[in-house]
Amino acid sequence: MLFSSITFLLIFLPLVVAVYYLVPQRFQNSVMLIASLAFYAWGEPIYVVLLVLSSMFNYFCGRDIEEKKGVPQLAKRSLIMAIVVNLLILGFFEYYGWLIGTVNKVFSVEIPYRVLSLPIGLSFYTLQALGYLIDIYKKEMKAQRNVFQFMLYMALFPKLNAGPLMRCADFQPQLEKRTVNVYKLGQGAGMFVRGLVKKVVFADSAGVIFNQVAALPMGTISVLTAWIGCLAFAFQIYFAFSGYSDMALGLGRMFGFELGVNFRYPYTAKSVSDFWRRWHISLNEWFKRYVYIPLGGSHCEPARHICNIVVVWLLMGLWYGAKWNLVLWGLFFGIVLVMEKYVWGNRMGQFPEFVQHTYTFVVVSIGWVLFFSPDIGYAFDYLGIMLGLGGHDLVDQQSLYLIVTHWLLILLCGLGSSIRGRDLFRALTEDYKNERVRRVVVSVLYVLMLIVSIAFLVA
Amino acid sequence: MTEKMWNRTDQNKRRVDSRLFGGEISFGKAEIGKWILAAFLLIYVILLLWFTSGSTKPFETVAQIVENSLHTDNLARQDGQALKRYYGLNSADYNGILFYSTESAISAEEVLIIEAKSEAQVQTIRDAIETRLESRKTDFAEYAPKQAMMIEQAVILVRGKYVFMAVSPDAQEYAAVFTKSL
Repeated sequence: MLFSSITFLLIFLPLVVAVYYLVPQRFQNSVMLIASLAFYAWGEPIYVVLLVLSSMFNYFCGRDIEEKKGVPQLAKRSLIMAIVVNLLILGFFEYYGWLIGTVNKVFSVEIPYRVLSLPIGLSFYTLQALGYLIDIYKKEMKAQRNVFQFMLYMALFPKLNAGPLMRCADFQPQLEKRTVNVYKLGQGAGMFVRGLVKKVVFADSAGVIFNQVAALPMGTISVLTAWIGCLAFAFQIYFAFSGYSDMALGLGRMFGFELGVNFRYPYTAKSVSDFWRRWHISLNEWFKRYVYIPLGGSHCEPARHICNIVVVWLLMGLWYGAKWNLVLWGLFFGIVLVMEKYVWGNRMGQFPEFVQHTYTFVVVSIGWVLFFSPDIGYAFDYLGIMLGLGGHDLVDQQSLYLIVTHWLLILLCGLGSSIRGRDLFRALTEDYKNERVRRVVVSVLYVLMLIVSIAFLVA
Repeated sequence: MTEKMWNRTDQNKRRVDSRLFGGEISFGKAEIGKWILAAFLLIYVILLLWFTSGSTKPFETVAQIVENSLHTDNLARQDGQALKRYYGLNSADYNGILFYSTESAISAEEVLIIEAKSEAQVQTIRDAIETRLESRKTDFAEYAPKQAMMIEQAVILVRGKYVFMAVSPDAQEYAAVFTKSL
């Protein structure tokens, strides 16, 4: 089930909120666990079994690693076994078809293989489980004693499909005790509606522009159209991801959970390193904590440090999906970050802010082309057009049509992804001398936002 | 699940000792539990592959095998326009479609196979099929209850990116051929 679906908005969420607030506090974890499994089972009932089995497997692995703490060698062996099984599951569902497909293409053979659909959220809950097991091994937390609480940590529906990733060590206290009240419910509902608007109104509308450009034959795309398509994708992916994160945070708060902020206005970044400190923060922190630092981080020889950065970004690219262009996307950002660290990073501050923002936007846009392209050949052709190679028109009727029909949306997306947009929204909802007037304005505004979102969904 | 159940799992102290290759190895409940769960995971994946996986075979191959098995006395092959008219789906959006429908007004027989390009499309196709079946069931309920019953017993299968639907007295047979063809 998706947060931005009518079934979730009009049936599932009101029902779960009502039951959650009606039952005594000691049953609230049970309600959340049942709701989370039902949420997951709605679209793909068969994969809820995988979620339950994986949770129970990791629960036992955590206990086993803890039991063997006295004998480090045994604990290490137990951790390795757990990591291998988790990665095999992830690899089987996400990468096995891709690898055999690649072998078939490279060697011109026809190895038959069975295709399975990818279980939603698998890559998220697998990373959480791996982090949990490594933390136990490093004695940074105790193994969860209660299997149901651990399952709730793995399956909690607000963060199940798209994060944010939470460390069990940070989340554990909330599983045992959390505050639930009407104030938090209202705050959470507001965050949820803001996220819904981001996803349904902004991301989906930007997606329409991007799809129009992507459907054009490569030979007919002008330079400006290519940039408009890329800009539309940049907005689509930002508003979809950050909208989903806002919805997750809002839902979490409605049920008394505090989840971590995942996006902090990334398009306002002044460097690519800064961009990645603001984009999908929980995922970047996971890779930093569990891959980059164990590899040696930055406290090593430059050659080793460069290698660490590139390895982390290759893995990050693979995590986003089993495609060669995503591997290239990871490699691209790995190289850019190395260059910022060792070549031009220190000199960036000398340039005017406008130049820094433009540099970051252009590099990130090149990255998005690698990200959205169906294959590497398409990506290079598209990048060629953006850079004015290949004799394509600079401007054509198509690009002018896109600007005339979508200028307001593009403007609003730009504003919505900036700090100025946030300030404007705050001014609209907070700057009132009379508290009663403020409440009325805020209530009307949020109800309108919800109605508009549902109208977009139905349309 | 009561509070007792939430606390019941807080026990993992007893250990089973055994001797293996001369050395003493101690198996805790957690260790036994994780190996059992690993075995369950393996069995689960095998079952998934067996019963729900799709195929990398070209659509034409699968379509040809199923088409050969159809009893075409009452069925006629339909084109993309019919798919758009009846299901609201654009045939160009998918890797392939095979759509057979009856031209008789008093029969609800239909067979549809679509290979989607992405997993996201699978749900769209399923929704379109559900809508079509619901609407047809209402249409037939009044004057052809047997046909409405047949729609009720429609076979819908999702195997990877393949979606199969059959409304027919031979629906099970067609479904078996489809599954075997993958």
